[in-house]
This record gives sequence, structure tokens and C-alpha cells, in this order.
Amino acid sequence: MTIDWWTLGLQTVNVLILLWILARFLFRPVAKIIAERQAAAHAALDEAEAAKHAAEAARAEAEAARQAVLRERAEKIAEVRKDAEAEKQRLMAEVQAELDKARGQAKDELARQGRAQQEALSEQAGVLAGDIADRLLARLPKEARVAGFIDGLVEAVAQLPESTRAGIGLHGPVPLRAAQMPTEAEIAQLRAGLDTTLGRAVEIEVTEAPELIAGLELDTATAIVRNHFRADLDRITAEVRKHD
Amino acid sequence: MTENLIEVASVLAAAIAVGLGSIGPALGEGRAVAAAMDAIARQPEAAGTLSRTLFVGLAMIETMAIYALVIALLVLFANPFV
Amino acid sequence: MDNPLSIEPLFHIGPVPITQPVVVTWAIMLALGVFSYVATRHLRIVPTKTQTVLELFVTTIEGQVRDVMNGDPKPYRTLIGTIFLFILVANWSSLIPGIEPPTAHIETDAALALIVFVAILRFGIGSRGVRGYLATFAEPTWVMIPLNIVEQITRTFSLIVRLFGNVMSGVFVISIVLSLAGLFVPIPLMALDLLTGTVQAYIFAILATVFIGAAVAETPSPQSKEDISQ
Repeated sequence: MTIDWWTLGLQTVNVLILLWILARFLFRPVAKIIAERQAAAHAALDEAEAAKHAAEAARAEAEAARQAVLRERAEKIAEVRKDAEAEKQRLMAEVQAELDKARGQAKDELARQGRAQQEALSEQAGVLAGDIADRLLARLPKEARVAGFIDGLVEAVAQLPESTRAGIGLHGPVPLRAAQMPTEAEIAQLRAGLDTTLGRAVEIEVTEAPELIAGLELDTATAIVRNHFRADLDRITAEVRKHD
Repeated sequence: MTENLIEVASVLAAAIAVGLGSIGPALGEGRAVAAAMDAIARQPEAAGTLSRTLFVGLAMIETMAIYALVIALLVLFANPFV
Repeated sequence: MDNPLSIEPLFHIGPVPITQPVVVTWAIMLALGVFSYVATRHLRIVPTKTQTVLELFVTTIEGQVRDVMNGDPKPYRTLIGTIFLFILVANWSSLIPGIEPPTAHIETDAALALIVFVAILRFGIGSRGVRGYLATFAEPTWVMIPLNIVEQITRTFSLIVRLFGNVMSGVFVISIVLSLAGLFVPIPLMALDLLTGTVQAYIFAILATVFIGAAVAETPSPQSKEDISQ
């Protein structure tokens, strides 16, 4: 077993030279080109990423602008709608007010007309009732127009308060209006009734008043005692009118 | 005859060295390959790593047989006693 | 039958005897150099077929180194790649008739192992410093110091003998078979020789990586594992 030291040394040098050659011409360039490609790929990726980001940003911006436009439009529409609504409300209120006013006027007018009509009717009815009563009383004896009311008058006087009664006939004769000029007998009867009621003698001054239709009316200083058809009819008419 | 005796002994020694020196590495390589096959069957995705380790291990084991061979060749061709 | 363990000088340059392995190594250097120069003259971002093969080769070596060392493969790429490429081409040079592989002679293997040994020292000291590297011999305890020193030498020696024994035995067996039956019979053996040559080149490179990786300090890989293409 012999080792050729020259060969060993030469081979070592040879391998070292080969190491240098391959490093210079093979490994370094290839590694460089791989690194370059990786860098290029990374750059391209970064670029693509940046472009993507830019596109994303632009899209977001456009979206925001669109949203803004939509919002603005919606606001405008709402505003216009509000205005229109207010205008409508105002017009409707105006019309309603006018309508109400017209309706009120019409109602007033109607009421007034109705009242006037009612009044006229009542008037007519009163006149008619008076006429009817007059006609009906014409069928009765003439005395009935006075005689039948003497007792009622005396009773009404009796129901007057004491102070009023005391004042009757103190200042001259008591004016008495009758539907028809009473007869002597009737006057006497009346005077007697009053004397009994008042407890003293009173003077009576009788005047004829056909508008009373039938009955008597005693006019004292402080009170008027009515006991005749006209008063009854007036009261009925008033009541009827009140009822309406 | 005396000189022939050394040559005969050298040839015998070389044959015995290679023959006996191959037994151990052969058994060892068999076990190693069997274990590697078992491992690859269990875990096929690790086949790459296992193969690399197996080859390195086989080369290590085989080195023992190669040592025996080198000794045999030394005895045959570079015998200092011839 | 020639003695496979000794070589005769072909000629002398001055006092220096030039043997056959040296000449073959020169031829291999020339071929590799010219090929590299031609192949990498026009490198482009968009690769050609040759460039793709070269890049695959370089990235594969980087990936293997990264796998073994768990570190940045850049400083070791050239050394490991050159060792692998040279041993591969040298082993396969036996295909050319009349050429004996340089690795079939112990001087070439010793030269390679010597370079690896020096590289282990250099990278170990460069990584840990002289004291730090020497301190690794006292691991796990100081009792192991002689054993560690012996291991340094024996593993380099085994590196030499492994490559030498494999290639030389292949050449030897083929020459024996060739002397017995000249035609067709050695072809399967030559095919086996090619496989053995490839595997030995790979193992030599990987073992060199392992030894260097054991010598340097653990550094985390700058690139994540997912970047490795294989």
C-alpha cells in the first residue's frame, strides 16, 4: 500500500480549482438568477397587491359617492314631500275653514229662517187661536165672556201677597179691563167678590178691551192680575215656542 | 514452499476476511431495510426523509464490508511479507 | 490483473510525476468548467430547459443542506455542490472506455476528505470561535475528549475508505469479469456501478454536510420550511 503524495497534493489543488470554477461559473450565477426571479415575482406580487388595493380604494370611493348621491336624493325627496304635505295641509285647512264658515253661515241662516218661520207660524197660530176662541165664544152667551171669569179673578187676587193686596185701590179707583162691557149685575158681583177678598171697599173703573177675547184684567199699582184668554193664548204660544 | 505458504495464507486470509466480514453488514442491512419498509408502509408521507436516512445508514453499514474488502485487497496486493 | 492499489506516473512535469487520475481530473475540470460557462452565459428570468435543470440542481442541493443543517444553506452550497458533482462525474467517467475513475484511487478520495476536514474546522471555528469550537470536543463531558478527537480522524478516514472501496471494488470486479467474458456480460455490473457511484456521491456530500452541520452552531433558518420546493 503506497500513497503517491504528489498525486494527493495535485488532486487537492485540482478539487480546489474546480471548487472555484464551479462557484464562479455555476452556483453563483444560478443562485443569482433564482434570487432575481424571486425578487421579480415578489415585485410583481407586490405590484398586483398595490393595484388591487388601489382598485379596492377606488371602488370604495365610488361606493361612498353613490351613497352620498342617494342620500342627497332621498333628503331632497323627503323635503319636497314635506313641503307638499304642508301645502296640502294648509290648503285643506283653508278649504275646511271656508267650508265650516259657509256651513255655519248656512246653518245660521237656516236657523234664522226657521225661527222667523216659526215665529210667523206662532204668530199666525196665535192669531188663529184668537180667532177660533173668538168664534167659539160667540156661540156662548155674551155674559160668559165676563161672568165666568169673575170668580177666577177674585181668587187670583186672593192669592196675591199681602203687601200687594194692601196697595190695591189706595190711589184712586182700580182700572179694570174687560173683554166686553160688563153688566151692572156683573160689576156688582165683582165688586162684592173683591170687597170680600180685600176686606174693604174699592172703586173700580171699568174699560172695554175686546182684544182680551174673554175675561178680565185688573191693573193695580204694583201688579197686574190677568184672567183672560189672550193671556192664556200668549202663555201657550210662549211655551210652545220655548219647546221648539 | 515457504514462500508459497505465505501466498496461500494470504489468499486464505483474504477470502476469510471478505466472507466473514460480509455476514455482519448483510444482516444489519437486511434489518435496516426491513425497518425502513415498515416505517414507509406506516407513514408513506415521510418516505423522502426515510429514504435519505436509509441510504446514509446503508452506506455506513456497508462501510464495514468495504473495510473487509480493503483489508483483503491489501493482503493480496500490498502484502508487506511477500 | 493490475494492482488496483498502486498507480504508475504517466509522465513528469519537471520533478512532478503526473499520474492517470490527475489527468482524468483535469479533463473533468475542463468539461465541467466549459459546460458551466456555456450554460450560465445567457441566464434569463424566463428559463430555458438547461437553465431549469441547473436551477433544479442548485435548489435541490440547497434544500438538502437546509434539511440536514436546519440553517441557511448559502455558505455551504458551493462546497457541497462541487463535491457531489465532481464525485458523480468522476464515478461515471468509467463509462468511457479506457478511463479509470479518479475516485478509484485513494489519493483523490483522500484529497476530497482532506478538503472536507479543513472545511469542518473552518466552518466550526468561523461559527463558534476557536475556544467555542474546541469546547465542543469536551461534550458531553471532558472524559470524551480523546474519543471525540479519534472520532474526528476516523470519520474522515472512513469517508476516504468508503468512497475508495466502493468505486475501486466496482472497477476491480468489472475488470475481472471483463477478463473472463468480454462482451455484454459486464453491462449489468456497469449499470450497478452507475447506481453505486450516484449513491456514493450523494452519501459523501450528505456526510460532509452532516459533519459541517454538527460543527457549526445551531442557527435558525432565515427562510421558513415552506419555501423549500421539494
